[in-house]
Amino acid sequence: MSKDFGPVWVIAEQAGFEVEIVSLQLLGKARELADELGVACEAVLLGRGLEGAARKLTAAGADRVYLADDPALEFYQPDIYRDIICSLARENRPEIILTGSTFMGRELAPIVAACLGTGLTAHCTGLRNDKNKNLEQQVPAYGGLMSIICPEKRPQMATVPRGVFKTPEPDSGRKEAIIHVPVPETSDTRVRTLEVVRESSPGIQIEDAQVIIAGGAGACSPEGWGIISDLARTMGAALACTRPVVDEGWAPLDAMVGQSGKMVSPEVYLAVGISGEQQHMIGITGAKLMIAINNDPASPVFQQVDLGVVEDCREFLPLLISKIRAHRHEKSS
Amino acid sequence: MIDFTFTEEQEMFRKASREFAENKVALFVPEMEKTGKTPPELVKALAEAEMLAITIPEEYGGLGLGFVARMIALEEISRISVATAMMLQVFALGIDPIVRFGTEAQKKEYLPKLATGERLASVAVTEPTGGSDPTGGRTIYSKDGDCYIITGRKCFITNAHIADTLTVVAKDENNPKAFSAFLLEKGMDGFKATHEEHKVGMKGCNTGELSLDKCRVSSDRLLGEEGKGLRVSMTAIGDVGRGGMVGCALGLQTACLESAVKFAGERILYGKPISNLQTIQNKLADMKIDLEAGRLLAYRAAAMQDRGERSSNEYAVAKYFTTEAAQKAAKMAADIHGGYGCMEEYPVTRYLRDSFVLGPSAGTSDIMKVIISRWVLG
Amino acid sequence: MNIVVCVKAVPDPKQISKIRIDPATKTLTRSDAPLVMNLLDRHALEAALELKEACGGSVSVISMGPPAAGSVVKECMALGADRGILMSDRAFGGADAFATAFTLSRGIEKAGPFDLVICGMASSDGATEWVGPQVAVFLNIPAVTMVRKIENRQSSEWIVIADWQNGYRRVQVRLPALFTVTRELNRPKALSFSGIIKARKKVIEQWGLDAIEASEEMVGARGSPTIVSEISPVEKRRNVEMLSGNAEEKADKLVSRLAEAGIIQ
Repeated sequence: MSKDFGPVWVIAEQAGFEVEIVSLQLLGKARELADELGVACEAVLLGRGLEGAARKLTAAGADRVYLADDPALEFYQPDIYRDIICSLARENRPEIILTGSTFMGRELAPIVAACLGTGLTAHCTGLRNDKNKNLEQQVPAYGGLMSIICPEKRPQMATVPRGVFKTPEPDSGRKEAIIHVPVPETSDTRVRTLEVVRESSPGIQIEDAQVIIAGGAGACSPEGWGIISDLARTMGAALACTRPVVDEGWAPLDAMVGQSGKMVSPEVYLAVGISGEQQHMIGITGAKLMIAINNDPASPVFQQVDLGVVEDCREFLPLLISKIRAHRHEKSS
Repeated sequence: MIDFTFTEEQEMFRKASREFAENKVALFVPEMEKTGKTPPELVKALAEAEMLAITIPEEYGGLGLGFVARMIALEEISRISVATAMMLQVFALGIDPIVRFGTEAQKKEYLPKLATGERLASVAVTEPTGGSDPTGGRTIYSKDGDCYIITGRKCFITNAHIADTLTVVAKDENNPKAFSAFLLEKGMDGFKATHEEHKVGMKGCNTGELSLDKCRVSSDRLLGEEGKGLRVSMTAIGDVGRGGMVGCALGLQTACLESAVKFAGERILYGKPISNLQTIQNKLADMKIDLEAGRLLAYRAAAMQDRGERSSNEYAVAKYFTTEAAQKAAKMAADIHGGYGCMEEYPVTRYLRDSFVLGPSAGTSDIMKVIISRWVLG
Repeated sequence: MNIVVCVKAVPDPKQISKIRIDPATKTLTRSDAPLVMNLLDRHALEAALELKEACGGSVSVISMGPPAAGSVVKECMALGADRGILMSDRAFGGADAFATAFTLSRGIEKAGPFDLVICGMASSDGATEWVGPQVAVFLNIPAVTMVRKIENRQSSEWIVIADWQNGYRRVQVRLPALFTVTRELNRPKALSFSGIIKARKKVIEQWGLDAIEASEEMVGARGSPTIVSEISPVEKRRNVEMLSGNAEEKADKLVSRLAEAGIIQ
């Protein structure tokens, strides 16, 4: 192990008895980065009832797992989590800390970064070690990609949404090394999560869908959006959208694919009435087949897809729906 | 004279007006187009947004902001709904004679309530026989002791049915050259709104007739001096009325240009948006030129008005120019939309219809030219 | 209650597409997209104004930005803020979230004792969501992000509801504290003419580096742990095959390609 560089860490997040998928994905990437740097890859996990989760983290790539397992930590407790992570960081001096862009991560990561006096990049869509062995953190911006580095301060911190990196194949052969971290007294915390309440069932998570139909501003109206929904229903596909559609109120925020929304990598992505703006397209981290339907042949979306159709979606989609139905009918008879 | 920029405060007035128009007024447009009626909730919203108080002095419960601020508000509201802007402009038109010629008692009685929207104002000069030439009117008054008795008919009066407080002009039955202005209120015996017009445009802005049938008014309802009634009303119409039309026209011009730009950017012909075609660019440039010129004329006149200077000639120029330009802009915008320019679901067809009503309101274009030629000839 | 609202002036999101990366020089071509108040900050200000109405006290607005951002601070005063502070200095330029949060925290300290700091949860340009929580660290106060409702404020320990995965969490927090808020929290009142008139008397305080307890290395680009090492336009990603023919023909072709891909059964 190199003496100059500390380990690569992932602050993992509990999901019941499991681990959040993004944490596993980050461990896969952290493993890669650690191997390049010649350092250890380690995970930090706080919560309650974490034995099974710890095993998953090891299998995903962690040489060592720091566990703070305590009933008091059943829910995310900001002050305690911050104190534990910061004191571990000061002691072990990691080179890099990665966190998922979850609700917890988006609050905890900046707090930890400020406490440690270091830099942090939000919602990264790419990470790699550059030629100076600095962590190059990529974020989409203004139709392109920005590369950000934190040249002097350590650790270098980044949050990453689920779906940017692949979930690694579990390696059950990796030796488990768990360090139990003591949990400090909780009575004098100034902020406390009393409970977590679930409001809606997740439904088909678009992150897991094989076929996605995404509608954009070109849908033009609630009726136009209705036609796109019909197409999704006809094809048994998940329905996603861009920011303008959410702003208009035609679809909920958790259907939004993009830089500040979800990351997806389906088999097939069909973009309807979408102009191809970077903030949205960056959300599609991998799709086998990409198709676009748009009435403007000059639209940037046509440079980013495999198949293009120049048509007004309001007229073309009903036609497409009837053709699909006819095709099915033919096949079954 | 030369600084043509708006102040930071004026930019905030514009922002507040635009937000109000887009968030509140826009919601009423479909209903107004469908029913042709003025929604009471819209009037309430205008009052809550303090739009009625703009030109009322602070000491009488108004904002005391003046006519540049009023022009900004009208422009922004008209961009969303010309009908609403027209209604609003005529409220101010009805307020102006009271501010200028009212006695202290009259101002104290009426202005605070007009500021809050508890009462609504209008002006009634036009008659079947006297519009462009108000001296042709046949509504007469006679004196009976300390009272006046008025009989006649007014037509094409904006806000006829919704207004409570109206400045009505009538001719002395004994002296055809003497006109007087009276502050009348709905509910007075012998005074009522009768026929309601169905206009081709500005739907939802109430226009109608008023009937006066031996309406008996006390002398404290005389507005200004007896016999000087034309001066009272024409000052209002000349400056405030024309200025109001200018605000309505500018807002409509802006709406026409914006919708034309949007459509031209989306409509593809020969593989490119039509905004790439020179004939379309010519039209857009024409609309832009007229809008820039119109705005300068408008704010020049409004600034003079705010300084207390006579501005009716400058407003005549602005009124002629902008109302004609708005009609051209609507036609050009409709042309750019091609076949869609004939379809009711496209706002541009409403712009066409609204633009017609701009012309004859507060003086026809021909009358504007007569006034302007008088200015030239001295 | 003394409440401080952090406000950011951002390029108008409706015109954001005008800002692009120049592929030749790899820098941003800034257009004249005018500066407006970040939408979420309007909700933050509304929350502060509502609390002031309920509990009494004062609302101060603070913003770090170029001189042109003063118009946004003025607008906040027209909306009802009692005090407006613009932190503006060449030295503050080029700041990342860390340096921005540090600078704001120094300004907030200088502004005087406070009970609550409120920020929009993210800005429409940048949208790191970092500045709020980091300001809290520098001020040494607890933070709750994505507050959508204030449930109980009877004592010095408030109960708030904050967005969470598929739902929300209920959080107990002791004041002084910092909240970042979501759109769900309230419906901001409209900018009014009389508010604009009242703001005539209000003066914006403008503070530079010398006004706060900080040195040049702690703010702006020099105080930023992160730097942008490169900006590049995204290369054309795929070779598109445009389907030809009239609408019918294109629909037929598309259906057969979808069938080939095995997604229409």
